[in-house]
Amino acid sequence: MAQLNYRTINIDVLDPDASINFPMDTLLPATLPAATTSSAAAAVAGEVRQLLRGGDPAAALRHVLATAPLGGDERAKEVHLAAVTEVLQGIRQAEVSRVLEEVCAGADGGAERADCLMKYLYKGMASPVAGGAQSPRKSVSPQSTGFSQIQGRNLGEGGGGQQMSVLLSWHEKLVELVGTGSIVRVMTDRRTV
Amino acid sequence: MAAPEIHHLFHNPIADHSFSPDKSTLAVARDSNVELYQKSGAKFSLTDELKGHEKTVTGVDIAPNSGRIVTCSQDRNAYVWERTSSGWKPTLVLLRINRAATFVRWSPSEQKFAVGSGARVIAVCYFEEENDWWISKHLKKPIRSTITTLAWHPNSVLLAAGSTDSHARVFSSFIKGVDTRPEPSAWGERLPFNTVCGEFLNDSAGWIHGVSFSPSGNALAFTGHDSSITVVYPSAPEQPPRAMLNVTTRLLPFTSLIWNGENEIIAAGHDCEPYRLRGDENGWQLTGTMENKTGPGAGTAREESALHMFRQMDLKGQTQADIQLKSTHQNTISTVRVYEETDGILRRFSTSGVDGRVVVWTI
Repeated sequence: MAQLNYRTINIDVLDPDASINFPMDTLLPATLPAATTSSAAAAVAGEVRQLLRGGDPAAALRHVLATAPLGGDERAKEVHLAAVTEVLQGIRQAEVSRVLEEVCAGADGGAERADCLMKYLYKGMASPVAGGAQSPRKSVSPQSTGFSQIQGRNLGEGGGGQQMSVLLSWHEKLVELVGTGSIVRVMTDRRTV
Repeated sequence: MAAPEIHHLFHNPIADHSFSPDKSTLAVARDSNVELYQKSGAKFSLTDELKGHEKTVTGVDIAPNSGRIVTCSQDRNAYVWERTSSGWKPTLVLLRINRAATFVRWSPSEQKFAVGSGARVIAVCYFEEENDWWISKHLKKPIRSTITTLAWHPNSVLLAAGSTDSHARVFSSFIKGVDTRPEPSAWGERLPFNTVCGEFLNDSAGWIHGVSFSPSGNALAFTGHDSSITVVYPSAPEQPPRAMLNVTTRLLPFTSLIWNGENEIIAAGHDCEPYRLRGDENGWQLTGTMENKTGPGAGTAREESALHMFRQMDLKGQTQADIQLKSTHQNTISTVRVYEETDGILRRFSTSGVDGRVVVWTI
């Protein structure tokens, strides 16, 4: 006789009406673009780098936001996040306001680009910084409890802190321009970046 | 624009409010009771309480002609209250739901009312003469989550519903023997019960907080937690809409909205003040707040005497306590309702909110 511990069965999974089984794909609009691959995202990153080097930061930002892989796989999204972060870091502090004005205030979809940029700012702040400040801190949490605030959160040292301050200053300027509504939409929108 | 009429009733949230047609009675949902206020002079004073619900009351609506009051609550019940010589008498409605009731509104014909619920159904209730009670029919498909808000079409058959599954839907709630067959419209021609006449989703999704049909019934507006308002113009039955216009705002989300004519919408919510939007099929835009910031509501920055200033600095370490919002409401507005209108053009509307105020605004 098989010993089954009934207390550990997650009965919600078995109930089709349970909230855990809510079909999340029903929250995606029909206008969602087709999935992109990571190689396509890498190609975009190349184009963007070229624009940035050509001294046109506004065009670079505009392009990288227009090509956001809303329907892409995780790998493509990661590659694209790196590209966006690169653009944001590549724009000088003094130019930020002007570039935002140009990219996000236009009537030709400026609001969508602003919302998209806001998603990237939050994603950038949520994800562990690539390379820096990560490996030595792995050992802080002695056992894996499944929930640890320490891991992956950079504490303002090394390269990570610098990236965070860039994102925060962009965030400040963007909220000034497009208001709190954009932050709310980052939370509701299922077309994640 | 005349100054708004402010009634600060108590220091509790008001989930919903409703005025009687002659505006002398005001019903507000407070905790698990509904309180009835009578107008005496310029003020409203508490005269009656409708006690019966065991949990938070989520909706209250006074039928304009019959004067019946319908209430619904998180205790999964709805009552229809009728005035008798010995006070208000409740009649229990058989909702047959196993989750909280969230919203209730009479149909314009007053033959029916609809109750939204967390059980992913809308109970459309009507009176059955033979058994002498209110019974309900369920609108079920394709609702995937809690119904948060409802609005009736002027023909009393079509019903708009907003849900936490981010969709705004238009249903037919046609009940044989109660409703007369509606005129065919852009929403549909034949409308048996539970016909889905439209299902709409914003690009940025978000729980739907408010829905409303335009006065003609030929356009639907809804607002959700994505701080945007969407206006839908249907084209023909079973066809995609002629236009679906989305206005994203820089504000906090709206919770409720109403139409003023066919070209204006008034919406209010977490920003604590009502806003006005204007537009037509070609485009909509936010035109600004309806709050008159130069009025007495904002005039707290009075000249202070030197004595007062130093006393404040001594007591509180600051000359002016900055604890008041500049708006009339001091917290989220939860309900916006029509107060006075002619042919769909508003003259006045009322709002109620978490701050325990009911405010009547003149346009």
